[in-house]
Amino acid sequence: MLDTHYPQITDNKLNDVEISLQEPISKINLRGKSKEFFAKAGKVLSLILPNEANTSSFSENFNAIWLSPDEWMVYFKNDDEKVIFNKLYSEISKVNYGSVTDISDQWICINLKGSKIYDILSTGCSFNFDQFLKTDGLTTQTIVNHIDVILHNKNTYNINLFVRRSFSEHLCLWLNDSAKFV
Amino acid sequence: MSDLRVHKTKYINETKRVSFKYDGKNYFGYEGDTLASALLANGVHLIGRSFKYHRPRGIMSCGSEEPNAICQISDKNDLTEPNVRATELEIYDGLEAFSQNCWPNVKFDIGGINNLISPLIPAGFYYKTFMWPKSFWKKVYEPLIRMSAGLGKSPTEPDPDIYDHKYVHYDVLVIGGGLSGIISAKIAAKSNLKTLLVDDKKTLGGSTIYQSNDSFKIDDQHSSKWLEKEINEISEIENLTVKTRTSIAAYHGYNYLLARENLTDHLSIKDKKDKIRQRLWKIRAKKVIVATGAIERPLVFNNNDRPGILLSNSINKYLDYYGVACGKNIILFTNNDSAYETAISLHKKGIKNLIVDLRKNSQSEIAKQAQNLGIKIYFNHVVTNTFGYRRINSVELMELSDDGNTTIGNKIKLNCDCLGISGGWTPMVHMHTQSGGKLDFKNDDQVFIPKEIDNDQISVGACNGDFDLETIIDKTVNKINIFLEINNQDYKNTKVDCSIEKEKRNIWLLPNKIPLGKTKCFIDFQNDSTAKDIKLALKEGFRSIEHVKRYTTTGMATDQGKLSNMHALGIIADTAGVKMGTLGTTTFRPPFTPLTFGTIVGRNVGKFFEVVRKTSIHDWHVDNKAKFENVGQWKRPWYYPKNGETMHDAVQRESKAARDSAGILDASTLGKIDIQGTDASEFLNRVYTNAWSKLSIGKCRYGLMLNEDGMVYDDGVTTRLAENHYLMTTTTGGAANVLGKLEDYLQTEWPELDVYLTSVTDHYSTASVCGPNSKKIINKIFPELDLSDENFPHMSFKNTKLDNVNCRVMRISFTGELSYEINIESKYGKSLWEKCISAGQEFNITPYGTETMHLLRAEKGFIIVGQDTDGTMTPSDLQMDWIVSKKKYDFIGKRSLYRSDTIREDRKQLVGLLTDDPKEILEEGAQIVSDTNTKPIDMLGHVTSSYFSPNLNKSIALAVVRSGKNMKGKKLIIPMENKNINVTVSDTIFLDKENKRLNA
Repeated sequence: MLDTHYPQITDNKLNDVEISLQEPISKINLRGKSKEFFAKAGKVLSLILPNEANTSSFSENFNAIWLSPDEWMVYFKNDDEKVIFNKLYSEISKVNYGSVTDISDQWICINLKGSKIYDILSTGCSFNFDQFLKTDGLTTQTIVNHIDVILHNKNTYNINLFVRRSFSEHLCLWLNDSAKFV
Repeated sequence: MSDLRVHKTKYINETKRVSFKYDGKNYFGYEGDTLASALLANGVHLIGRSFKYHRPRGIMSCGSEEPNAICQISDKNDLTEPNVRATELEIYDGLEAFSQNCWPNVKFDIGGINNLISPLIPAGFYYKTFMWPKSFWKKVYEPLIRMSAGLGKSPTEPDPDIYDHKYVHYDVLVIGGGLSGIISAKIAAKSNLKTLLVDDKKTLGGSTIYQSNDSFKIDDQHSSKWLEKEINEISEIENLTVKTRTSIAAYHGYNYLLARENLTDHLSIKDKKDKIRQRLWKIRAKKVIVATGAIERPLVFNNNDRPGILLSNSINKYLDYYGVACGKNIILFTNNDSAYETAISLHKKGIKNLIVDLRKNSQSEIAKQAQNLGIKIYFNHVVTNTFGYRRINSVELMELSDDGNTTIGNKIKLNCDCLGISGGWTPMVHMHTQSGGKLDFKNDDQVFIPKEIDNDQISVGACNGDFDLETIIDKTVNKINIFLEINNQDYKNTKVDCSIEKEKRNIWLLPNKIPLGKTKCFIDFQNDSTAKDIKLALKEGFRSIEHVKRYTTTGMATDQGKLSNMHALGIIADTAGVKMGTLGTTTFRPPFTPLTFGTIVGRNVGKFFEVVRKTSIHDWHVDNKAKFENVGQWKRPWYYPKNGETMHDAVQRESKAARDSAGILDASTLGKIDIQGTDASEFLNRVYTNAWSKLSIGKCRYGLMLNEDGMVYDDGVTTRLAENHYLMTTTTGGAANVLGKLEDYLQTEWPELDVYLTSVTDHYSTASVCGPNSKKIINKIFPELDLSDENFPHMSFKNTKLDNVNCRVMRISFTGELSYEINIESKYGKSLWEKCISAGQEFNITPYGTETMHLLRAEKGFIIVGQDTDGTMTPSDLQMDWIVSKKKYDFIGKRSLYRSDTIREDRKQLVGLLTDDPKEILEEGAQIVSDTNTKPIDMLGHVTSSYFSPNLNKSIALAVVRSGKNMKGKKLIIPMENKNINVTVSDTIFLDKENKRLNA
């Protein structure tokens, strides 16, 4: 097996902010509109894809994040063998119910924990976190320090931040720097 | 400490002495002092010199409106800061401040000669004087103007301080922590609205917090006591955030505001280390309550600018808030009641004072109180002149005529060491107008007040033209209840007893026996504009306030005319015989007070100046000493110098290796879009100029994408992975825009298409191996893969595995060499690269960067969108007519390709250029002409790409030239600074036109 290399992100804990890399985890982009698409996705993932903007749903093994009216990102524990992807691809893409794309390496998942995480984010993000921080499962696609991210509120003061791999080191450097000043 | 510290106050911590230096001399003040209050306590009034005439100037106010007391802080090259208001800067241990605009020192300033020649340099003298002789401009006038321009010194080294930004969202923002602001914030917060209250001072309370006068009582207590309780109460309210030392810099549309919070400016040098100095707050508020108060106006009379002349209310604040007396023998010159409050305060502290009042009398309670205390009042009198060079020592009074137009009677000369002036109050309407609000003129008080607008914003208190306590409380509560749609009854039974001003008399320019031309009646103290200048501008035909402002520079200094604008308007109105309300005001622009560049930039400096994108192979490039080039936000290897090679040498070596044996390029940055759906082929047909329906599964095709105007927008290779599944590549810089554009088309123009797009740019890393030995290398890496031309021809791909990891190998080429691009999930990108390097070692595989890539593709005449195109090139201009399908019904930009302009024969077209001297390398961007003798020279085009090709052993270039297609073989000239370079127009393909190397 080839060696794997993830972005150089060192876990950090400072001023009640914990920043940690959450890789490897698998991520799949799902797109579709038809009833069949929802049925197949629901069956494979054992969950109903959220249809309300900026929300998420989850089952025992999977988290599904709403990205747009016909687009979701599903993330789950690493699946090297691509079993889930292959199953979704066969049951959705191949039969033209929608599209299934492996984006495991497109996004890097970083977990932020601690009472000051929103203070850090608000130094580089114009999003209003008032409701977001109060409601578990909310998601948003926003910009942090000029970089596109997807945020998923796991629970109180615990969020998963998804950033494109190429930006991830720079963003983490910035997050760690921000943590010094909260 | 001098005997001017006359009074202990709770705002100054007299147990903590603070040492500081001013103009090299040691002083001390107390914690809580501003530089201004500390200097006044030390008897220092002379602070600087005025901008134009270099007249001695002193502290005039106690806030952001200060025009005179502006200083240079620190003499260190990195920390020095000019134009800091002494009235706003809190002193700290180690503070060093300096006078500005004077040499050799503030007491003796050579520039003071300007004051003597002031009749020769009135407003606009630059425009009239520096016209002739013409030859003087470059060597005399311009250097002279440059030398005298600007106030203070800029730092010459990078600022070591740390700054930050913060985005916040509130239901209600209250600007100003005075009486009306505190009431507003309390009502809002108690109504369960998330509220932010900001004030630029270190303590809340505005001017009421130090008001202890029996004529101003609320609920039978002095107003200050009552307000203190209110402040204590609001500190307990959970959903109210109070930010002191925070000033609103800008109020943009839709209640978006910027505020600067001073975090460490008041701390000692050791305490501020490693802390954020200032933070820029970016505030979104659903509703904004403006409670910014009012600024006291000066009065305009002869020599009204001497050190020791202060605004009357500022004298009061220095006394009652800071405990500092501005003088021991003070005269207060006023046209309203507020100076009486100052007089009574001074009297209480035993400081000798008297009042000169323009009005014929005053029947208000506070005036009676002053009279009862025995304070002498000169009613119906006016100050006509002041005396004293470095500090005022006396004033001259005269009686006013009934109509106020002239002075009568004998001159009265009175000694003093301080003159307090009060010309009434100007509501601070800056925030309201910055947000787009209009103003009304209130004739009674001669003030502009906010015109109510329906945009979730309201002004209350003095900034709304309400000046007495009773009106402020009453109107604020009522307005806030309506504004927030609530019914707060907290202040229903509040009892207010306050003196009400009954008599008003305002004269913008006070009369004098001396002709105006011989007086110095200052209006804009910082820019040295006088009443005479305003009248001169009017005489010279300027009428609009905006024109007068620019001609005289009134209101254009760092104080933005906070003290001067109203008088300028008043004098214009009086002189021109128009109503002041019809004149309007000048434009109030952000920032309200100057912002440091650091605050604006925040932490976007140094390593955070630019966002950086890295490929998964980046660390290998760093380890192998690559030089990087910024391509969009990506850091791409530019070239890999060895043993001290220059860029030219490295590129020559890399390109030779790629042609002779093998090269490898990190191509991960190219945009990649996964396209799925039953209409994917039709979608590509509409997006690209060529046809896609017949592309077989497993095959790749190059495509050119146009804008609606028919101009080339992007290009790349798209691969058919399955029946309804494609992978599109785009240019590195164009990836995000292309995805956005295509998604836009799908959602708005072609919703009927069953197509889904997903970006996978970061998901895959790409290693591109090229050269005659590339097949051998790929064979070593993927021994099970049949690389024969029959099984794996050019423009096709294979799915395979590398150590059980899925890979996609594409046989495509951007160099003209036999090439393979391997796509693999990014986490394996570096391992794949290292495998390629290892496998290629026996073939001297050479990593090459973007510069070599550019050279190799130029040898083959392949274009780079954005380098050889500039948004004005059609496929035909690029001599790529072959890629435009004539059969397709439509594609983006098709219609535009048949416009008369796009089919013109004399458009600029892509050609090759060969220099007569094969060693001469053209400069990219150089202009191309056919004849240098005709004037003006007819420019035919420019060089877009130029290199020295080691493979051809000559210089090659691509260029766009008017009618270039028909110029093959024609001699043209590249005129350079010192010589002309002769070139011949050639084909765009310089190497291997037959594509033999692709299949070698």
